[in-house]
Amino acid sequence: MTATAELRGLRGDRAKAKPENKAAFWFLLPWFLGLFAVTLGPMAASFYLSFTDYNLLQPPEFTGLGNFERMLTDERLHSSLGVTFTYVLVSVPLQLGLALALAVLLDRGVRGLAFYRSVFYLPSLLGASVAIAVLWRTVFGTEGLFNEGLGLFGIEGRGWISDPETALSTLITLNVWTFGSPMVIFLAGLRQIPAMYYEAAAVDGASPLRRFASVTLPLLTPIIFFNLVLQIINAFQSFTQAFIVSGGTGGPVDSTLFFSLFLYQRGFGNFDMGYASALAWLLLVIIGAFTAINFWASKYWVYYDD
Amino acid sequence: MTDTLTRTAAPRRESAVRPVRRSRGRVRAFCKHLLLVACAGVMLYPVLWMVVSSLRPNDEIFRSPGLILAELETGNYEAGWNAFEHPFGYFMVNSAIVVLGAIIGNLIACSMAAYGFARLEFTGRRWWFAVMLLTLMLPIHVIIVPQYVLFSEFGWVNTFLPLIVPKFLATDAFFVFLMVQFIRGIPRELDEAARIDGAGHPRIYLRIVLPLMVPALATTAIFTFIWTWNDFFSQLIYLIDPDMHTVPLALRAFVDAQAGTNWGATFAMSTVSLLPVFLVFLFGQRFLLRGIATTGGK
Amino acid sequence: MRSTDPCSRRALAKAGLLGAASAPLLASCGFGRGGEMVLSDEPVELRLSWWGSDLRTQQTNEAVAAFEAEHPNITVRGEYKEFGAYWDGLATTFAANDAPDVIQMDEQYFKSYSARGALVDLNEAEAAGFLDLSRIEEDLLVTGQAEGGQFALPIGSGVIALAVNADMLAQYGMDMPDDTTWTWDDYAAIALELTERGGGDITGSGITGGVDVASVRYWVRQRGNELFGENGDVTLDPDLLVELWEYYIGMIESGASGTPQQMVEDTGVGVEGGRLATGRTAFGLIHNTQISALRRGSGADMRLLQMPQHDGMPGNFIKPSMYWAVSAGSEHPAESSLLVDFLVNSEAAADVLGTERGVPANTEILEYLTPQFDESDRIAVDYLEAVVPGDPLIVTPNGGSNVNPLITRIGQEVYFGETAPDEAAEALIDELQGEIDATK
Repeated sequence: MTATAELRGLRGDRAKAKPENKAAFWFLLPWFLGLFAVTLGPMAASFYLSFTDYNLLQPPEFTGLGNFERMLTDERLHSSLGVTFTYVLVSVPLQLGLALALAVLLDRGVRGLAFYRSVFYLPSLLGASVAIAVLWRTVFGTEGLFNEGLGLFGIEGRGWISDPETALSTLITLNVWTFGSPMVIFLAGLRQIPAMYYEAAAVDGASPLRRFASVTLPLLTPIIFFNLVLQIINAFQSFTQAFIVSGGTGGPVDSTLFFSLFLYQRGFGNFDMGYASALAWLLLVIIGAFTAINFWASKYWVYYDD
Repeated sequence: MTDTLTRTAAPRRESAVRPVRRSRGRVRAFCKHLLLVACAGVMLYPVLWMVVSSLRPNDEIFRSPGLILAELETGNYEAGWNAFEHPFGYFMVNSAIVVLGAIIGNLIACSMAAYGFARLEFTGRRWWFAVMLLTLMLPIHVIIVPQYVLFSEFGWVNTFLPLIVPKFLATDAFFVFLMVQFIRGIPRELDEAARIDGAGHPRIYLRIVLPLMVPALATTAIFTFIWTWNDFFSQLIYLIDPDMHTVPLALRAFVDAQAGTNWGATFAMSTVSLLPVFLVFLFGQRFLLRGIATTGGK
Repeated sequence: MRSTDPCSRRALAKAGLLGAASAPLLASCGFGRGGEMVLSDEPVELRLSWWGSDLRTQQTNEAVAAFEAEHPNITVRGEYKEFGAYWDGLATTFAANDAPDVIQMDEQYFKSYSARGALVDLNEAEAAGFLDLSRIEEDLLVTGQAEGGQFALPIGSGVIALAVNADMLAQYGMDMPDDTTWTWDDYAAIALELTERGGGDITGSGITGGVDVASVRYWVRQRGNELFGENGDVTLDPDLLVELWEYYIGMIESGASGTPQQMVEDTGVGVEGGRLATGRTAFGLIHNTQISALRRGSGADMRLLQMPQHDGMPGNFIKPSMYWAVSAGSEHPAESSLLVDFLVNSEAAADVLGTERGVPANTEILEYLTPQFDESDRIAVDYLEAVVPGDPLIVTPNGGSNVNPLITRIGQEVYFGETAPDEAAEALIDELQGEIDATK
């Protein structure tokens, strides 16, 4: 029995505290099988490899903490961490804000909803395609649409994707552009809110804004929380878009060198999979810390009906 | 189809909020549309550019600006479709097989695991949940090599199994977590009531929880479809033989920096491969709307 | 009962299930434990892997079919990927001892594989009579040698060249420069004049050097230096690199060449999407064999010019466009060698493959193909023949597989003004040497 269950038992809530281990075992059986047969093995292997020098072609050599010591002086690693943190901290709130706003807008009685939803989702379908490198240049290149738009207002543009100062912002824009996934989750979440709450609020004569603040938002918090946790995890691991747009380099001048891209370059480009594994575990610790903080903070703002 | 959707979606709001001031409502609706159309236009530009470019001769793609087509060149579609030893549709069928397997696996296994985590009290629940989240946090690039060794020992390389079987084992923690959040949003009174009627967990899961989480299931199905359809890295590693190639692999095979890329064909086939995903979303989204509000609200 | 061989399949499977225990086994089994160099009487299945476009794939499949017709007991499964993905997949399959038999190899990666014992010495195949190396151009053949063996066989060759848009020169009333005598200063002057005559619509030149390994090699070789030495260390003279970068900084500042932003935008869209193809710039650096893609993409009269000169030193080098290599873990090295022999030495294969993998390294095949060339082929081959090569290329050593991205990154830092050229040159050499030392 876990400590929390015991505590509950002391509180006299015995019916709830009684572990339903047998039922849980059957429900979780596929997951346990997957965990032990497919997931944990490779994870453990990568953990071991993080203490080795492993070039993929020859057996790994144990080097102790060597890889981790190397991280301290690896300047590219430090700059990739900077890029990644900026990306996470800027793009996640922007993307989620936009997704939530449009989800709420599209959930209301606007004609042609299905069409709009699909249109807004379309970019997300394309997010990882090879074509995106070229498409993004047509928008943010020196002669792209964005500069043409600025030209209408007499502002001289620049090569947004190719200038080290602005390249990262175009990738943030790209991520915000593909807000379709969190939007869909928000939409599904909005539909999950029982109508009775709205009816009750309507009886009380609450204004639409008030209904949003007192009914929609609180009941949507589990979904907002989910999106926040997952989008942070995804943003930390962001790889494909930077890989495609920068042609795998993380350039110009490492300005879009995301952590995962750096790790990938080390692992496969430099045959340095031992170090790459160590980097991966560093990332796991960072993401784990963010997620733990998120869960801790969720106690104060996430509302569960159960 | 849009009409039926708005109609099924409408009642709960209409009954709740009476359209008191009609004219003001119209102006507001118009503004809303304007806003939405503007957003849509900006967002869609790159997609439209791709579609238009797929209809241009190769040597004009990068030289003609904008979205205006001088002539309709359908040769790219023909060239792209027949570029490899199999017609492009063959790769789409392969992708469809992988996608279908992954969807079924995810729907069954993730919803079971989610029910376990959300509704059952068991020893070490929080700990196992944390482990599940941890499995999301390691980048695929360091997992893929040991995983490849493992699956190659199973003899699964060059089959769809490494892409499908793990889904039946709920390895997509994203969806387990998603469903947990949705199940926790379902009022407990509903299953307590069923329990008083003598229902066990399998019954509650099948009869109460699953029907009430259709939006989450639909989300899972749609996302699994799209992500699997677009997934490149793991398909690249496991599907070596061209007979097993899927859409992302075939699309990437057009690109060659040295000898030159047939961009027209690439865009044409990108457009073709976008079509099923778009259609799935267009028709699948109605299930997103079947929340408690329309099925279980009492 | 219990298996004692740590490399038996069962032992591996068990270790795989145990996860961590499998890690020490990665790649420790199997390589160098391939089959004997003798032909089998049984049916043999080979795996042949390459990167490249859909056109290459079609041609290779056709050539393979011709090979299978000649050798009824051999079936060949072709595998193809895009360049970047190709290396990830290849490394992964090697790690699992599951590599293809015949591998298309690149100059920058070749020693990273051969030094780790991953490839078969093709001299053994020649000694056994399965592969003929005698008709391969000598200067190219040495680029496939390492550690006293022939671990890779050059398929074709390419040289860097200046591509020029002749239509554009005519449009702005410029003469075609005399590329037999011109110097780097001439080049800068011509480019600047073009920019000026273009009145802001075009730039004379792109940034044609300092951000890729080929241009750096060319520049320093013209000045008697080499990127790598025979012993596998970096021998690049930092002063020469500084000189190269400063030359282009001058071009950027004068307007003779485009901006660094434009240069970055051109990476990742391929030669047919770049500014050279879209008619925004008149001169650009390409490989001679890319001319057909460039002509196709631009629709303009694109021609190749010899590189500008420096004190008459021949900086040029014939670069192997790619190689064939046989995996050391192959169970059928003899049949694999036969396949390589067919692809490189047979007229039947040449009929199908043409010059798509570079101008053929086999001199007889090149002669055989010459009458069939189309215009783009002819431009590429004429160019190659006009080139006066210097010493043969010293191949990228083990640990140097990342040299091109490294030069790109640090070159960009210089052009964007983030690092001073002299500091950057030192940093580049330190980092590159560090990567190489790490493999020793």
